[in-house]
Amino acid sequence: MLEMQGLLNGFALALTPVNLLFGFIGAVLGTAVGVLPGLGPAATISLLLPITYALGSPLTSIIMMAGIYCGAMYGGSTTSILLNIPGEAASVVTCIDGYKMAKNGRAGAALGISAIGSFIAGTFGIIALTFIAPPLSSFALKFGPTEYFSLTLLGLTLAAFLSGKSMLKGMIMAVFGLLLATVGIDPVGGALRYTFGTMILMDGFDFLALAMGVFGIGEILISLEEDMNSELVTTKIKDIYPTMKDWLESRWAILRGTVIGFGVGLLPGGGAVMASMIAYAIEKRVSKTPERFGEGAIEGVASPESANNAASSASFIPMLTLGIPGNPAIAMIFAALLIQGVQPGPFLIVDHPDVFWGVIASMYIGNVVLLFFNLPLVGVWVQMLRVPYSIMAPLIVMICSIGVYSLKNDVDDVLMMFIFGIFGYILRKFKFELGPLILAFVLGRILERSLSQALIISSGDVSVFVTKPISAVLLGIVFLMLLTPLALMLREKKSEV
Amino acid sequence: MKRWERIAAISLFLIGVGGAIGAWQIGFGTFQAPGPGFFPFWLATLLALLSLVFFVRNLGADATPMVLWAQGSWVRPLKAVCVMFVYVLLIGRLGFISSSALLFVAWLRIVEHSSWKTVALLVVGGTAGLYLFTSLLSISLPRGILI
Repeated sequence: MLEMQGLLNGFALALTPVNLLFGFIGAVLGTAVGVLPGLGPAATISLLLPITYALGSPLTSIIMMAGIYCGAMYGGSTTSILLNIPGEAASVVTCIDGYKMAKNGRAGAALGISAIGSFIAGTFGIIALTFIAPPLSSFALKFGPTEYFSLTLLGLTLAAFLSGKSMLKGMIMAVFGLLLATVGIDPVGGALRYTFGTMILMDGFDFLALAMGVFGIGEILISLEEDMNSELVTTKIKDIYPTMKDWLESRWAILRGTVIGFGVGLLPGGGAVMASMIAYAIEKRVSKTPERFGEGAIEGVASPESANNAASSASFIPMLTLGIPGNPAIAMIFAALLIQGVQPGPFLIVDHPDVFWGVIASMYIGNVVLLFFNLPLVGVWVQMLRVPYSIMAPLIVMICSIGVYSLKNDVDDVLMMFIFGIFGYILRKFKFELGPLILAFVLGRILERSLSQALIISSGDVSVFVTKPISAVLLGIVFLMLLTPLALMLREKKSEV
Repeated sequence: MKRWERIAAISLFLIGVGGAIGAWQIGFGTFQAPGPGFFPFWLATLLALLSLVFFVRNLGADATPMVLWAQGSWVRPLKAVCVMFVYVLLIGRLGFISSSALLFVAWLRIVEHSSWKTVALLVVGGTAGLYLFTSLLSISLPRGILI
């Protein structure tokens, strides 16, 4: 009942003309930038973050960011279907059957089922978010610094574990991100750390400079190495609404994708990418005609697209209730809220119920907006894809520079962003995952603060982390995850012998 | 790829060792009262250890030698980096709008080899767009000897 009351209040706030307008602008802008190849939700949010800062109100800002996030997820599938280049990582598998469908003259059906599947899955995710988030927040209120330390550690380990092919590389990136977060003034005692006597490092690294550099500039540099010449399906896109046959073929795929996506999206580090891949693999496995997959099967579009949208909604749960962002895009929203003076976590629902319920209500609205406005606008998105990357690149550099500069009016931050851009480029070349780095950077201060507090409270007794039940369970999961690669390695060695 | 992975591992190891020494010097404190170097010390040590494991896992011959940069593929990113650094240097002197116009010219000519006609069109359009964007959002940008 309290949930319904909160949700109604949230709707009252989200439906004010200003919030509605910025939610709509966010969804459209997010789609427009998300459509561009290579620019995923994290890069899209980082590019558009300065606009949300200029708004002033935390609620309007997060409503706009939620719109950008959902829009970017939607935009990514358009690029995958029409260009065979994933607009974002979560749409990689959509390329396989989506592009084939487009080549077979069924681009409209692919885009339509992708949008409708996304809408159904997204709505299911938000309904679940509405009812799961409040009790989870209440539970999380029992958490002290010990539990927070273990939970944050679990989030980071999961991020490293699920980020890519190599867990070791993911862990190295997570530790590196934590180390980067320690640069600057020590939050407890005020001592200077790793500043090398320079003024530029005294305030520490700016999150926006790091995120825009690593995601925005790094992506541009890597794209300069390759020519993004892929054949755009330019035939007139028609019949965007699925036929009865399409429905019958894809209804279970949408349902399975939704459930898988929601489950995976709840995990920190899981997110939309993992969800879409698992959903596609399962769909192919359960299909009576798996040979159609790869040749333009509509289920091959419906399932991963539903999964990545359900995961997007689910990934708001750990951020809003526990204060643990699950993926880089959510980490951007998390950091932006911190800058606006709002601390996401269990107290959010108590301290800022307007923000908590406002964002949930705005996601319901955003989903409807995306379905009813974006589908008819598909022709516009196709035109966006015609803009050559050679023109987009200097524009992105300029927008990133304004964004980073406008935060503190400091040109040094722009310089820092370019340095992080080179860093991001090198990391991509060496196939290091960027997600754990960004997540760790955001979580660094929380982890350090909770560790210090837990040690001070327990008079330096480290065993407190395993004697408190919740913390012990969380650390147990961390331990098991760390053992998994070792166990796999041993099994491989055994089978070689 | 293994050779490059080893180079990455050594670099990260050195950062870890340097970070741990630096953290110790800042002040490790005690477990009862952690100093400012306590948390960074453990992180840097962990980074060094993980890099060491990474190095060991990449020992031996490379089964599939991989070229990190195909012939000439580094040229355009390098040109772009140079253009970006000159851009930062110019922002404070010429102002944001003027230096952004120059960024457009340099990028399109040096990195993309676009025609002068395309450059002219985009510089005018891009700069006007930038001016409008920043005016609408009331962002105060650095002004220089031009605008």
